[in-house]
Amino acid sequence: MKRLALLGLVAAVFALAACGGDDGDGDGAAGGDVRGDTVALIEERGALKCGVTDTLPGFGFREPDGSFSGFDIEFCKAIAAAVLGDDAEVEFVAASSSARFELLSAGEVDLLSRVTTITAERDASRAVDFAQTTFYDGQGFVVHADSDIYDAADMGGATICVAAGTTTEQNLDDFFNEQGLSYTPLSGEGSEPQDQFVARRCDVFTSDKSGLAARIASLPNSDDYRFLPLTISKEPLAPGVRDYDSDWKDVVSWVVWGLINAEELGVTSANVDAWAADPPNTAVARLLGVPFEGGETADLGFAVDPQFIQRALRAVGNYGEIYARTVEPLGITRAGTLNALYTEGGILYAPPYR
Amino acid sequence: MAEQPPIPPPAAAAPPQPPRKVVLPPHRERAHRPWRVRAEEWVRRNLFASPGQTLLTFASLALVGLVIAGAVWFVFFQANWRVITVNRWLLFAGGFPLDEKWRLWLSVALVFPLIGAAYGMWASLGRRDLLFIALAGAFVFFLTAHGDAGPSSSVWFAASLALFFLGYRVCRFVPRETGRPRTLAVRTLAALLALALPLVLIVLMVGGGAQASQFGGFMLNLILAPVGIVGGLLLAVPLALGRASSLRAISWTCTAYIEVIRGAPLIGWLFVALFILEDVISSPLIVRTMIVLAVFTAAYVAEYIRGGLQSLPRGQGEAGHAVGLSHLQTLQVIVLPQALRVSIPPIVGQAIGLWKDTALISIILPLRELVGNSRAAIAQAEFIPDRIEVYAFAAVLFWIVAFMMSRISQRMERAQGVGER
Repeated sequence: MKRLALLGLVAAVFALAACGGDDGDGDGAAGGDVRGDTVALIEERGALKCGVTDTLPGFGFREPDGSFSGFDIEFCKAIAAAVLGDDAEVEFVAASSSARFELLSAGEVDLLSRVTTITAERDASRAVDFAQTTFYDGQGFVVHADSDIYDAADMGGATICVAAGTTTEQNLDDFFNEQGLSYTPLSGEGSEPQDQFVARRCDVFTSDKSGLAARIASLPNSDDYRFLPLTISKEPLAPGVRDYDSDWKDVVSWVVWGLINAEELGVTSANVDAWAADPPNTAVARLLGVPFEGGETADLGFAVDPQFIQRALRAVGNYGEIYARTVEPLGITRAGTLNALYTEGGILYAPPYR
Repeated sequence: MAEQPPIPPPAAAAPPQPPRKVVLPPHRERAHRPWRVRAEEWVRRNLFASPGQTLLTFASLALVGLVIAGAVWFVFFQANWRVITVNRWLLFAGGFPLDEKWRLWLSVALVFPLIGAAYGMWASLGRRDLLFIALAGAFVFFLTAHGDAGPSSSVWFAASLALFFLGYRVCRFVPRETGRPRTLAVRTLAALLALALPLVLIVLMVGGGAQASQFGGFMLNLILAPVGIVGGLLLAVPLALGRASSLRAISWTCTAYIEVIRGAPLIGWLFVALFILEDVISSPLIVRTMIVLAVFTAAYVAEYIRGGLQSLPRGQGEAGHAVGLSHLQTLQVIVLPQALRVSIPPIVGQAIGLWKDTALISIILPLRELVGNSRAAIAQAEFIPDRIEVYAFAAVLFWIVAFMMSRISQRMERAQGVGER
């Protein structure tokens, strides 16, 4: 019994130490359900904890020096610059696809920026809210260049390589049922589908178009493969934030919209300094949070100061610049896809910043 | 009690022989024939004694040849080792700031002489150990010399190796017999070993160094596994003694701990570190992981130590009390040393198991050790096809350390006379 009392005492001491040790070590996010003021939490900690993937070419991967790189990473940096004024103040957390939402709700990350598709189930039943979509992806198909397959109808009876246990696999099944065509799935983990396709064990390889393009582009003889002009699913990839924190969600969404608006208005990382000093029109002045011709600086009431989009632009540039830096090298051109501005045939349509 | 080598039966009374004619026993006689004849005979007797055996011999030779040829072909002609040389930093240090490389090497240079000293104190370097060190060392030199790492890494590693041998030599001078000088030396070394990890963490983190969240790659395996093993060992001793205690409350508590921890897989406990432990001990994830690894290992090691305790005759403890030693002194100088010595082989087995289990960390936790960063390396567009190279490389690194642990344990067992007393 004495021993038990001692244990209780030890536990109490530990608990006290835990409470006392909460401040100053940059790990202030306590466990459990974290609700409320993420912006204040980030400012207090001095760093944004960004949940990312580290295994997706072009979107989230690591450079040989250990740093993170890719399309999703750029948005982490943009948001860190917007909130903290320094795009280096990001702590990247490699979040697996299976644990990502739990990491968010447990407070291990403030933001998920890792090719997460918005789905109704996730929005409704997970502790995640989705901010503005950053990339519109969709499931595509690639075949061998000498293949007879040119369209969906030609795929009847084909063997198709697909990643096991993914929404991709389900989409494929739905699509072929609708078309009334038969097919033989050949599923595998990781990069197995790609290997099997290259080894000609299947006629068609299917995955999200961005990932598909990256994988094919990396092959030594990428001209031996051909993409089908076909997209069979909607995959809007969006940053995720914790439920019940609309101030934080507003900041994240408007950084994304701000970078899209900046592209529309012609603000780039190259001219942002000059235009902040001398804005060409009121729209640019509002976006950059600077007064126009002796007027007042418009404070629209965000949880951060009015220059947050200006800082994000200075750090990573506008949406088009990010795309050109990260996604285009994979061989995924932007013109004519959903990710072009609405003025150029895409669906990137940011609400007005006013 | 002690197992003596079997005493040869007394020689049969040989009939008197003529003194000058020397009859050699068969094996000595064979030794006088030319080696070519002997080799031929050995081959015939062991490989081609019957048609079936001949068939088996050729089949095995073909299989072995195929595997070796395939491996050689892969390693020297097919593989693209650029994925390793380019990603050396990612694989070894993860997100550790590149400018602070000296901190990593300084840590290595601090730890190597201590390992050498431990070797010299409790074991000795045999020819096989030297061969292994030479091979592993050459491998690391090859790595550090390649690409754009510059000469500093090679110099650091050479210095660390030299310090390893220095530590070894110094401790060889410590007398082997128990006595005041040896006790003093052992205590000093134990204290230094205990200080090694805090010291390494200070070197890595204090004064503009890395943050805990930036630790990654092989370095993370090399930090987490020893913490788990040493922490587990320290926790295990009171647990094992507690389980053997005659006080119900204590023995039940310890038994419950052991059974609960052993009842769930390590992966499950890593989830606890990620999502539950935070509410109890608010600390960075890496610290929580260390706690879980130590707590997990302790449950297993406690049982091995209990086995060691039970293998001792009761008389050992009673003898201690009889000469007037206190309970604690009896434990310290009589019971524990013997129990721990018997438990060395299973404890090392557990240590090697934990060493390899650190690869699970990347699967469950948002920490990235060697295997996690191997996956990251093949996500770089240039290296997508090169994953066999990366995984093979990771396997070799894991093997080097596991083999070293195994050698050390064998040496220690021999030096401590495990299985001989």
